[in-house]
Amino acid sequence: MEKENTITEYNFTGTSRLVLLIGMGLGVVCMILSFFLDGGVEHHARFWSNFLHNSVFFTGIALMATFFIAVCITAWAGWYTIFKRVWEAFSQFLIVGFILMLIIGIGIYLHWHHLYHWADQTILNPENEEVYDAILHGKSAFLNTTWYVIIGGLIVLVWVFFAYKLRALSLDEDQNGGDANFSHHRSMRWYAAAFLPIAGFSSAAMIWLWIMSVDSHWYSTLFAWYTGASWFVSMIALTILVLVYLKNRGYFANVSAEHFHDLGKFMFAFSIFWTYLWFSQYMLIWYANVGEETTYFKQRIDHYPVLFYGNLIINFIVPFFVLMRNDTKRKYGTLVFVSIVLLLGHWWDFFLMLKPGILHTAHEAAGMTGEHGGFTPGFTIPGLLEIGTMLGFLSLFLFVAFSVLSRSSLVAKNDPFLEESLHHHV
Amino acid sequence: MSYRNRSIVYGLYNDEEVLLDAVKVANEKHLKIMDVFTPFPIHGLDPLLGLEESRLHIGGFVYGSLGTLTAFLGMTWIFVQDWPQIYGGKPHWSVPAFIPITFELTVLFAAIGMVVTFYIINGLGPGVVNPYIDPRITDDKFCIAFDVHEVNQVDAEAFLSETGAAEINAKTL
Amino acid sequence: MSSVVSKIREPLITGHKSYHDITEDLVSPTEKVPGPSWVIAFIVSVSVLAFGLFCIAWTIWHGIGTWNLNRTIGWGWDITNFVWWIGIGHAGTLISAILLLFRQKWRTGVNRAAEAMTIFAVICAALFPGIHVGRAWVVFYFFPYPNTRGPLWPNFDSPLLWDLFAISTYFTVSLLFWYTGLVPDFATVRDRAKGFRKKIYNTLSFGWTGSAKHWQRWESLSLILAGIATPLVLSVHTIVSFDFATSVIPGWHTTIFPPYFVAGAIFSGFAMVLTLMIITRKVLNLQDYITIEHIESMNKVILVTGTIVGVAYLTELFIAWYSQYPYEQFAFFNRALGPYWWSYFGMMFCNVVTPQFFWVKKFRRNVALTFFLSIIVNIGMWFERFVIIATTLARDYLPSSWSFYVPTWVEIGIFLGTMGLFFTFYLIFVRVAPVVAIAEVKSILKSSGDQYLGPNAIHHEHSGHDKVIMDPIHSDEISDEHHGHGDAPSDTPGSPADIGTEQAVKTGKDVKGETKVSNTYVPSSRKEGSEKDDLKKIEGIGPKIEEVLNNSAIMTYIDLVNTDVGRLNAILENAGSNFRQHDPSTWSAQAKLAAEGRWEELKKWQDELDGGKTKK
Repeated sequence: MEKENTITEYNFTGTSRLVLLIGMGLGVVCMILSFFLDGGVEHHARFWSNFLHNSVFFTGIALMATFFIAVCITAWAGWYTIFKRVWEAFSQFLIVGFILMLIIGIGIYLHWHHLYHWADQTILNPENEEVYDAILHGKSAFLNTTWYVIIGGLIVLVWVFFAYKLRALSLDEDQNGGDANFSHHRSMRWYAAAFLPIAGFSSAAMIWLWIMSVDSHWYSTLFAWYTGASWFVSMIALTILVLVYLKNRGYFANVSAEHFHDLGKFMFAFSIFWTYLWFSQYMLIWYANVGEETTYFKQRIDHYPVLFYGNLIINFIVPFFVLMRNDTKRKYGTLVFVSIVLLLGHWWDFFLMLKPGILHTAHEAAGMTGEHGGFTPGFTIPGLLEIGTMLGFLSLFLFVAFSVLSRSSLVAKNDPFLEESLHHHV
Repeated sequence: MSYRNRSIVYGLYNDEEVLLDAVKVANEKHLKIMDVFTPFPIHGLDPLLGLEESRLHIGGFVYGSLGTLTAFLGMTWIFVQDWPQIYGGKPHWSVPAFIPITFELTVLFAAIGMVVTFYIINGLGPGVVNPYIDPRITDDKFCIAFDVHEVNQVDAEAFLSETGAAEINAKTL
Repeated sequence: MSSVVSKIREPLITGHKSYHDITEDLVSPTEKVPGPSWVIAFIVSVSVLAFGLFCIAWTIWHGIGTWNLNRTIGWGWDITNFVWWIGIGHAGTLISAILLLFRQKWRTGVNRAAEAMTIFAVICAALFPGIHVGRAWVVFYFFPYPNTRGPLWPNFDSPLLWDLFAISTYFTVSLLFWYTGLVPDFATVRDRAKGFRKKIYNTLSFGWTGSAKHWQRWESLSLILAGIATPLVLSVHTIVSFDFATSVIPGWHTTIFPPYFVAGAIFSGFAMVLTLMIITRKVLNLQDYITIEHIESMNKVILVTGTIVGVAYLTELFIAWYSQYPYEQFAFFNRALGPYWWSYFGMMFCNVVTPQFFWVKKFRRNVALTFFLSIIVNIGMWFERFVIIATTLARDYLPSSWSFYVPTWVEIGIFLGTMGLFFTFYLIFVRVAPVVAIAEVKSILKSSGDQYLGPNAIHHEHSGHDKVIMDPIHSDEISDEHHGHGDAPSDTPGSPADIGTEQAVKTGKDVKGETKVSNTYVPSSRKEGSEKDDLKKIEGIGPKIEEVLNNSAIMTYIDLVNTDVGRLNAILENAGSNFRQHDPSTWSAQAKLAAEGRWEELKKWQDELDGGKTKK
């Protein structure tokens, strides 16, 4: 039996905690600095946009972990079972994500920031002829603080519930499972199946609210799926990194090149899928050439060319050419390299989704009109403070994930697919 | 890779796992197996027979790249050089519009190239009549064949009977 | 492919088939004289096809004026049918390629027929662009080639040209993929045939021999073709969607079209596969290969894709409002409440509402309901294309041009004709080629046959170091000889399997070196109820536990072998808190060695064990 050499309990050591705490400390320092070093942009936009950017990014990773567990359960997949605890641990970050997004939501109420143009009540009033924005007024049934804070909060709580429930059932299966009816797995299948459509609909709404409404006039029907694909690739990349780390520390001895091969395939396939969605969205808007839509890309190509082209190179060219071969998906070196590149790459993608719109809003709020070229620290390209903030959030994410991981067995020992997973061959 | 005119001794097994074990025994005894014939692909057989990994995918990559270049350079030449026209205000060299056809031809070239290569290197094709050993090999029998010029026939027969072959025979193809 | 299969999975091949049974069952439809139902179906199909050909001839002779298209509504039934057929043509490659990559074994039962369907559907689809241009005899102008009319090239910037490339590529690659899969199966047919038939099938089988190297390359080729066919299948409907989405027509120009068209195509393709397979399995008696499990899996795909399509419909609707773009808003208002409101509600009902029935397991496994709903989905997907095309065009930017469109008999006739074409091809296919992929089904037999898996299984695997036992495959001929458990001539209960081995070697039958104990083994002495083994010899079992086990009617090693770990846990659980800490995971494997009298091996293993538990 292959279970022999496996350590089944994860020990979240003091050193690891310390490293992650230092990481978080770095993040806090960077955030404080960015609060004051705002590069001349009003409303502490640099601080708040970094806050939003990272919160959305890591909450999305947690959502995708939950979503993918649900997908695997409903598809009767077996291969991932030996490391499913890692995804379960990721999924628990949703609770933190809820708090982070709540802070931003409260910030809208209390005017701490000006990330969202639609939150400005003066432009919604037809009497203010000079600044009245009829389009945003029309959208205000959806783009408003109630939707953002109350309904959005409830939606995230629903995600939290499913993440919690799927993990709780899995843990309970360890203790009381293994019966001939697979009763735990049955009820997991029920929750997983229910979560799929719920996540499908609600994630789109949240993506529109959190991200797309930053460019408050612009719209694209594909946007939610595009963002979802970006989250998904990031989630797989982070999974590979965490698994490789844990394997180096002696855990998950049974996670073999076969499992990494499959994770690598997912990373490869979804990088291509992401590119497909990127191309579909870009090409259709480019082709039809409707001003309301092209402005989104024009702004980015003209003022953020490094971000715009870099995004495509990092997130398509690199994984495509490196992971095309079979052996690169089985070697730690190449796999870790691509995972790091893609994790940063999709973080970069979110940067590109959010920052130009936020800067534009900030400029408008400051009474500046038109586009402003030139370099704005923290917006034109990610600066050191942005990277520090990201490391802080990453540390927070890992801290939560590792704490969760250390509280249960690493092996879902009564999962009916465990044996299949142990004998997995590509 | 035709086996025409070769004299063989062969055994038919009823089960692929017995066959796999037999191949392992043959390897231990250094009996050179000419070929194994089965009704479906057997997992784990290739390394035992010492078959190198197929290089078909390299061919696929080359053919595919050829398709990419043909399509992209072809369209570029036609629309920039040979017949520059303006459609819908698009530039002559409108890369996004070239992507779909480039992709399609990449796949087309790769697929056709690989399939043709596959049949050629295997010596298969319409009208090819390969000598075949036993009609049940495409049904439920698993066959190990030895070339009598490469192994001692007596050894081979003894091996086949020891390892559980249901039938043992010799013939010239 | 993992050789270990979870017991939670359902078998995919029922009826305790042997390899030979599979050949027999799957090849025989091509060898028999067709029955009356086939003949009637064929006559009907060919007649409908003939009428369709007549309508096409009528169109070409009299011109496109015989259709009810007008300046406003330039695309009607022709392009609706084109997109509908292309969509149906997606399931085959999807089942073969994507499900192959995702290792969904149930695809083996349906992939062959689905791929055939793909090819026929693409032929039907390709007909429409060919004739709707009017001058069908110069349709080769579509293709770019250095020509005598000066440097005149097609417009490479046009999505319609992309479509030409996409569909030709898709057709070619699907054909190659399908045929390469068929080659080994044609060889199987060949090797059973005689005379002229044998010659034909030898040509069709390309001289296939079944050599190990050929199989290796065949598998490699299939995998790579699957790998490139997966983005290809996505690209085809994507490009079809570009035909609409690159325009500036409200309701057409929306970025979600590419993935949404693909999901819709998979949705309708699976519906058509279900329609066909439910008939095929009935007519050709293939219920053992296309099981309820297959139908259930496909129904799940229908549910998922139906819901994705639903998400896309609502996204479009919502963003139309959200855009605050009046033309876009009107386009959707027009769809839902305009002159073609019935097609919009038909689409919503058939595509989004009806698949929701499949949340209920009972409905997913109900063949009649599935058949009915699969047709409903096909109708719904036809409505979807009609909504997108005709409804949108009927109300364009200029109210003075608003128009209404109903098809003429010619257009309806051509549509019916493509149905006839499709079914004629399909009916010929089921007589000529094996409808289910023989080699692929054989290769999953040992992991998914019902003699290995599920409630009817004869044998179970007991532990990690015991391989699957293979003889049930030959159960008809052999099992009585060396695993005839009920009446084995054995007076020493510990060694029945050894006797089996000796016999097997003597008769040259298939038994591997090691011996096995089967789950159904019942020693004759046990029948009298007097037999009792010393269970304490199993490490981890003390006198108390032995008592508990005996109380649960576990008396012998064989009994212990046959009790699965879950039940042992439950027995210990019920016996009280003192017993809960025991780990019975190795007991059945230990008992197996004991039952087979392999004491030395057991001893050796027990030395490594730590109180009956595997060492941490």
